[in-house]
Amino acid sequence: MEALKLKLKQQIIEALNLQDTRPEDIDDNAPLFGEGLGLDSIDSLELMVLLERQYQIKVEDPREGRKILQSVQTMAEFIKSKQAA
Amino acid sequence: MKGKVYIRGCAAISPQESFSGSFVPQPPTLADDNILRAKEPDYKAFIAPNNLRRMSRMLKMGLTAALQCLQNAGITVPDAIITGTGKGSLQDTERFLHDIRQYAEAALNPTPFIQSTYNSVNGLIALQQQCTRYNNTFVHRGFSFEHAVLDGLMLLREGNAANVLAGGFDEITKEHFYIKSRIGYWKTALTQPADLFSSNTPGALAGEGAVFFVLGAAPAAVSLEGIKMMYKPSQESLGQALETFLSQHQLTPADIDLLITGQSGDSNHDHWYQFVQQKYFPDTIATPFKHLCGEYDTAGAFALWMAVQRMQEEERLKHVLIYNQFYGEQHTLMLLGR
Repeated sequence: MEALKLKLKQQIIEALNLQDTRPEDIDDNAPLFGEGLGLDSIDSLELMVLLERQYQIKVEDPREGRKILQSVQTMAEFIKSKQAA
Repeated sequence: MKGKVYIRGCAAISPQESFSGSFVPQPPTLADDNILRAKEPDYKAFIAPNNLRRMSRMLKMGLTAALQCLQNAGITVPDAIITGTGKGSLQDTERFLHDIRQYAEAALNPTPFIQSTYNSVNGLIALQQQCTRYNNTFVHRGFSFEHAVLDGLMLLREGNAANVLAGGFDEITKEHFYIKSRIGYWKTALTQPADLFSSNTPGALAGEGAVFFVLGAAPAAVSLEGIKMMYKPSQESLGQALETFLSQHQLTPADIDLLITGQSGDSNHDHWYQFVQQKYFPDTIATPFKHLCGEYDTAGAFALWMAVQRMQEEERLKHVLIYNQFYGEQHTLMLLGR
């Protein structure tokens, strides 16, 4: 799980071009939107694309997406659950 | 028609040191390809980091040049934002097209698609300045910037705006350079800009830039007297149009103090400039500009910016004429006065 979260942080930084941000700057449980990283709605679309490209997981229901993209922790848990299924 | 239109401010990001405010014309030295690349400023002084991270190169160049131009003119919210671009953000367009291919038309990233649209720069300027007024982008190849200027002039002369932000922007990428090289746009052998006009070979040097102007009715050092566009004219019709254009402003060729030409060193198309110079301006001081900025759809914006710089420096220049054409198709005359 820890390795997945680190990889996910690196992928988020690269996909969203978060300049001057390092993986260790991102708290596992900090909110990705609003506070924390301060991402916006376009970023949420980018993160959906990231899940599809990197993990072959397509989020069909936008309401589900809101829960999945809460934090790095929730994203990693979602990926793990899909990979286990 | 109402009063004169003045150039109240301008800013340019180009292959020259044009953004710093200490412009000394200097043909760049090319290392390994025929591309004159823009000297980009530090964007962090103009754009918030959270916005900057998502923007591609063209958007950063366009927005920054526009913001600096507004600042130079002392205006925060213009009455109109009008731009011209031949290609828009090529980097985003290419990225989006590559993604379509790589991911088989699925899992497409929205950002390059959004930013690949031609009016992205206009939208960003409007968002940044909270400007909800007239907003228009023209995409007409070698006439793109010129249509933005014409639109701005009409708005001002009809009294529908007191000031207009008008600009032109285009970028060059490796891929686009390659595509256009297939149809003979560029010189095949590495040619230094300093040797451009003695090269006598087909093709031009590629260039890029983002140049903005604030046009307005309030008096300034330089006025934009008029603009004339011609699509694929004959030499005869070009000559007639030139004479008519000048006479409409109560001028003859002898009244022009400086002629700025879009000579690009392209042996296929530079005969247009030779014709105009020899027939109408044999004794007029003439200067080219494409050895400084390269050839691109909106290079005319750089010529206008250079004309303003010259007129601000040299009081003796009362009337400056710019003649530019883009690969023999789009021909433009722009007249500046006091």
